Amino acid sequence: MKLDLTIDGREERIEIGNGRFRIGDGPEREASVETPQPGIYSVLLDGRSYQARVDEGAVAVNGFRFEIEVRDRRRWNRQSRGGAHAGAQDIKAPMPGKVVRVLVAAGDAVEAGQGIVVVEAMKMQNELKAPRAGTVMGLAAKAGATVTAGEVLATIM
Amino acid sequence: MFRKVLIANRGEIAVRVMRTLREMGIASVAVYSDADRASLHVRMADEAEHVGPAASSESYLRIDRILDAARKHGAEAIHPGYGFLSENADFAAACESAGLIFIGPSAASIRSMGSKTAARRVAVAAGAPVAPGTDRGVAFEEAREFARTHGYPVLLKAVAGGGGKGMRRVDREADLESAHRNASSEAAGAFGNPEMYVEKLIERPRHVEIQILGDRHGNMIHLGERECSIQRRHQKVIEECPSPLMALHPEMRASMGEAAVKAARAAGYYNAGTVEFLVDADRRFYFLEMNTRLQVEHPVTELATGLDLVKLQIEIAAGAKLPFTQDEVAWRGWAIECRIYAEDPSNNFLPFPGKITRLAEPSGPGVRLDSGVYEGWTVPMDYDPLLAKLAVWAPTREHAAARAARALGEYDVGGIRVNIGFFRRILEDPEFRAGRLHTGFIEEFFARTQAPEPPEDAETVAALVAALHATARNNGVEPRPAGVSAWLTTGRNELLR
Repeated sequence: MKLDLTIDGREERIEIGNGRFRIGDGPEREASVETPQPGIYSVLLDGRSYQARVDEGAVAVNGFRFEIEVRDRRRWNRQSRGGAHAGAQDIKAPMPGKVVRVLVAAGDAVEAGQGIVVVEAMKMQNELKAPRAGTVMGLAAKAGATVTAGEVLATIM
Repeated sequence: MFRKVLIANRGEIAVRVMRTLREMGIASVAVYSDADRASLHVRMADEAEHVGPAASSESYLRIDRILDAARKHGAEAIHPGYGFLSENADFAAACESAGLIFIGPSAASIRSMGSKTAARRVAVAAGAPVAPGTDRGVAFEEAREFARTHGYPVLLKAVAGGGGKGMRRVDREADLESAHRNASSEAAGAFGNPEMYVEKLIERPRHVEIQILGDRHGNMIHLGERECSIQRRHQKVIEECPSPLMALHPEMRASMGEAAVKAARAAGYYNAGTVEFLVDADRRFYFLEMNTRLQVEHPVTELATGLDLVKLQIEIAAGAKLPFTQDEVAWRGWAIECRIYAEDPSNNFLPFPGKITRLAEPSGPGVRLDSGVYEGWTVPMDYDPLLAKLAVWAPTREHAAARAARALGEYDVGGIRVNIGFFRRILEDPEFRAGRLHTGFIEEFFARTQAPEPPEDAETVAALVAALHATARNNGVEPRPAGVSAWLTTGRNELLR
């Protein structure tokens, strides 16, 4: 079976089957794999033992985290990339938490470094600042709302 | 001795207190908010009482509800842990009026030491050196005046503060107003008091603190120091006992210990407490503040002295005399603690609450884990991100650092981000191993080091595992029973040619 991967931003192809695998044009290699628990893998490769854990969108191997996206070539769907307007800058929640204050209104002109939204999690407040000067567009953040990591809170045009 | 004690706290410290209570044959009563019904401290307790919604201001900080819970369950004493109501003088006083023993100092001592500005005044009166600063809370304009007089950088600190919350380093006037506003708001949320004071910042200090212990009969001793210079956002993350500084200059333990005992005596202190100092490059020390409670880092003192501080706290609260004298306190070997937080070191250490999908905990020689979590539990976003404290003991500092790194290597938390990998890097850092510590260590560490290279083939293994996992998922065979290899199943479907 052939799959396409994006690993830490780099495109790779992997072929797997019958206890063997090959990455890109590399050599065909043999490995022993066990899954002692769901999402936990023990891999023996060239006599070395690796512990791996699968998280959403990432695999940690011996404590080192790799961001990996897998696409089955047979189910390949070309996804539209980005779609952001040229020059628009999203301000995203850096962590899961709660919006405690919105310091601007939609349509406001802001300066670079000006505070836009304050997000709090675990008693830690984090003021998100405008990455550059511009106008506040699409202010999604509302005081009191719960947000997930990476959620767009505001866009500066 | 008490028959039943209520723990007015949650998470790992509530669990840690319960362990000692159980060893002493004392029943434990847990309290919990809506967010904590399934938390480990509730599961471990003998009895438990709901005290309100998730917001701590409506639950863990509600004196009336905590006291009602204690009365309802017939608890005779309350252990406050750290954080929440532990340094709240009104709470200590309310316990006494309700006929309950507060396991900590008197309300009067908390008042004189619990406020950072009042503590400064007590320390000055007791003859301890302090850094220049305002001796009360100030508005932004007054903080600006102080900074103009004494020069930047300055440190804004919450009058009622602790644990680095409501604290900001400010390097230039342009940042002062927003720093004052945000720190003040953080302080209001965390401590119910928005007041800020300002101090001249001491550059590259070491943070060294003295554990003191006093009974209600006027006896007061110290249990030596802890070095807590490894901090992020003014909050300690690695602590050790002894301090590498004192290993080189053993006379400092006696002089700082004496200063700490004097300051604590001046406040009429009893029970366990900690006097914190900053030590500058010339080994001059300055009184920083006193914490009128148990510290997060108490395990390193316990490991080095062989004492159980929580047990001593409970015995002192029950009226016992200190069971030993200053001369009988001995330190053995070296202890290091790492605070395991739900946070992302690669993103400014921002908190990262969520569900723990996988948990493997370290064990083996010299390892102590004080944890408050379990696999499958969701870390709530409403509280401090401290999940557990990993403390190790070994005969030497070198061995203790290696042991801590080894234990961290066995520790795996999935589903959320934690700072375990970051600690491994610090513990293996030559500057750390040489004991050249200061409170800006972590910032400099990031500036001077590169992320370590993963072992050979780790990326290859990650790619293989991702591919196998995705395949198993698409075939709808997750969760897989142990021993059945996705690997070979895939092989049967489609051979690699």
